[in-house]
Amino acid sequence: MNPEGRGEGAGSRVKCDDGPANTTHRLWILVLLGMICIALEIGVHLFLRTAIGYTHIFYVLLVLAAVWYYQKALYVAGALVAATLATSLFVGDFTWATLLRAAMFLIVTWIVAQISEERDRAKAEILVQKSAIEEKHYVLVGYLAEVALRMKNPIQILHDNMAALLLQLQGDKPDIDSVKMDLAVQISHAEQIMANFRDLNQAIVEEREEIPVAYRDFLTR
Amino acid sequence: MNGEATMKIDFSRLGEDRLFLVLSSAERLKVNNIAIIRTLTGQGYRVVVITSNHPSAVLKRLYEAEGIEMARVSFIDTITKYAMGKVPPGQEDCRFINSPSNLTDLGIAITEVLNTLSGEKACLLFDSISTLLIYIPSTNISKFIHFITSKLRLVDASGIFLAVEKGLDPLLLTQLTTYVDGTIDMDAQPPGNEVQAEK
Repeated sequence: MNPEGRGEGAGSRVKCDDGPANTTHRLWILVLLGMICIALEIGVHLFLRTAIGYTHIFYVLLVLAAVWYYQKALYVAGALVAATLATSLFVGDFTWATLLRAAMFLIVTWIVAQISEERDRAKAEILVQKSAIEEKHYVLVGYLAEVALRMKNPIQILHDNMAALLLQLQGDKPDIDSVKMDLAVQISHAEQIMANFRDLNQAIVEEREEIPVAYRDFLTR
Repeated sequence: MNGEATMKIDFSRLGEDRLFLVLSSAERLKVNNIAIIRTLTGQGYRVVVITSNHPSAVLKRLYEAEGIEMARVSFIDTITKYAMGKVPPGQEDCRFINSPSNLTDLGIAITEVLNTLSGEKACLLFDSISTLLIYIPSTNISKFIHFITSKLRLVDASGIFLAVEKGLDPLLLTQLTTYVDGTIDMDAQPPGNEVQAEK
């Protein structure tokens, strides 16, 4: 939307994510509407001496400017107010109604700008939160895949190694030394697989804040 | 096991292609290890076994029982010291690494062994990538295998990387496949009991 003048946080300006083509289109629309408003002010108010009806078109310009450029639209409103007041003074139809009309230009523009800014700020916040959640989810899925890789088949290997050791022990002349050494290795494998599993649990617990404390403790024990 | 371990593997391209990823089922990993060693020593290769699945002492006895010429086989053992806390006696010809996750020491040991075997027909047998995955994240394994394969190509040595067939995720498998010259699926045996490599 607004290419400049948008910040972050409550009360500040929100960021604009529109492309330059969109910004140019909007500027042209506002310029065109501004020219129509000035033409109406000159043609209808100055020459036809009528101050009724034509100012409704001003609100189209003011609302669009406020939606797209927030508080900066107040400059446009100020310009229209100045044009209306100057013409009224020149024509000689300056009344309380003129002042009220001018005030309405400013008030309506300010309200629309406030609502638009707040709406876009909330939208930007939701987008940031969404991307943060997606990023966390992506990291967790990657981690789960990695841990599955480091547990699924190692357990199969462990199982087959243990089965082979059992067969060896059931044989006529089991090589007890070899079995002892191999068992020590398989225990190391099992310990590391358990450590990997604890890491997975830790990651899940850290990610899911809704898990009760007792279960968190159990999963990471 | 004797009957199964006599299976021959078609490493006929081992002269032109140097590096192979060998995929095996978990239950046949040991049998296939023996079959590969038998084939390689039969072709006159000096084989360096990098073991992380079984202690080198156990493999040594196994190879001896299978009638493999042990003068052609040496070991880099990454697991015995870690699992048992000490080196068993009678293992002077073997290099021990403190932990399977210590890739720096493993890299140095491999470099040293390859230097001592320069001028010979040398082949590195990595047993196995799947077991190493217990101790090391897949990204580190991928980088390490890339380092080893580059090293092997530089010194004109061969390398065989054993892995459990379904134990590698598609990304890691793709990366490993790009590092090697061919992949051999030990469980997809053609008639004649001879496993052939595919490029």
